[in-house]
Amino acid sequence: MTGVRLIEAEQAPLLARQFYAKGNPGPIVAALAHVPELLEVTMPFLDAALGPSAVDARTKELVILRTSAVMGCRYCIQTHTVVARNTGLAVEEVAALRGEAPLEAAFPDPRELALLQWVDVVADGPGQVLEAARREAGLHLSEAELVELTLLVGATLLLNRFCTALELPTSPKVLGRLAEEGWS
Amino acid sequence: MELTAVAEAVQEGVLPGRVWFYANYHCNLACTYCLTESDPHVERRELGSQRMLALAHEAAELGFTALGVTGGEPFLLPYLPELLARLAAILPVVCLSNGTVFTEHRLERLRPLAELPAQIQISLDRPEPDANDAMRGPQNFRKVVEAIPRLVERGVRVRIATTVASIGDEERARLCQLHRRLGVPDADHIIRPIVRRGRAVDHDLGVDAGPADLPAELTITSDGAFWSPFGPTVHGGRLDTDLLVTRTTTPLRVPAAALLRLVQGRPPGTDSQLNIR
Repeated sequence: MTGVRLIEAEQAPLLARQFYAKGNPGPIVAALAHVPELLEVTMPFLDAALGPSAVDARTKELVILRTSAVMGCRYCIQTHTVVARNTGLAVEEVAALRGEAPLEAAFPDPRELALLQWVDVVADGPGQVLEAARREAGLHLSEAELVELTLLVGATLLLNRFCTALELPTSPKVLGRLAEEGWS
Repeated sequence: MELTAVAEAVQEGVLPGRVWFYANYHCNLACTYCLTESDPHVERRELGSQRMLALAHEAAELGFTALGVTGGEPFLLPYLPELLARLAAILPVVCLSNGTVFTEHRLERLRPLAELPAQIQISLDRPEPDANDAMRGPQNFRKVVEAIPRLVERGVRVRIATTVASIGDEERARLCQLHRRLGVPDADHIIRPIVRRGRAVDHDLGVDAGPADLPAELTITSDGAFWSPFGPTVHGGRLDTDLLVTRTTTPLRVPAAALLRLVQGRPPGTDSQLNIR
């Protein structure tokens, strides 16, 4: 049960058809297809923000999965648990990112721990972000990294709320993999 | 003044010059091949006269050259005669109608159209009442053949649209005799196929038509902008989105630019072959 009808290929609007060219594009595209002019700008943005870039894939997955866990987004936690495992993160690391174990034990690298603490500060709650937290993150990240990874938190927040509010369904393939590895 | 990209595309014939407005979706009839499943009880989804006027002004500024008004039955909207005159003062306009709601009072209110670049396109599918009314409902033929001469007498230019799966030579000849007798010249009679969308799907009627078969005439509805007036169809009570261009309709330049991009991205040689117009 989803909170919005997912547009199937035969009803895909003209500007959305490119996203259906390789088969089922997934629920985010199928929901955004209701407003094709937003779909065609949102997906390139998400690809740029979440996809391959100057920051390595492992670091980006730390940010995406941790942000999703802070926000309690079922769809994103489940999907990125699998993505994180495919990216090479250990079971213990994924469990810690999901909030099921302490971060400090799973992430001994001070850079990664500082990044995750920065994610928690940015994602968890409204209002100003303390300067001390920004300074701490800045000790381990270049300005470009700080900007890119902070934007990645924001892009993930967008997805978290979109997927949660519209109750987008996790794919059966992801659910199967989660079951295989014993994740919820 | 520098031409807009739309104006240039229209001048070069890349983009059709007409912008269509779906004035409403409700209708006093329930034709078997209706694209929009219109009937008296469907949601009206009116575009509104102020919005149509604003869009018409923007269409002219962008470089579009003509307007079309369709529905539903647009003449169920009380403000339509005066709106058509105001639209025709902006750009030449054609308004599609089933021709069954032209009371004397309404006909008089249409008289100013005689002096303006305005046409009313009325549906008449068959030259005999029984065959015509089987698709369009009882008394349709009688009302239409009464209404057309009364519009023509007032100087209003009438075009007749015949929508049929097929028509033989003899029947076509009888139909042409009829429209000439009603005061409509051959140049203002079009014959087009039923498009297999909307209620036509349920009645197993018509031809399949996609973007390659349909002129890319920007079509504005209360639900968004579409590739063609054959786009914003309804089936099973649900709006089809396969020919949706954008949900944004105001400013008009947003869907116009998107439509132009789509047209320019269309492979060459895919012009309409089905005479759908």
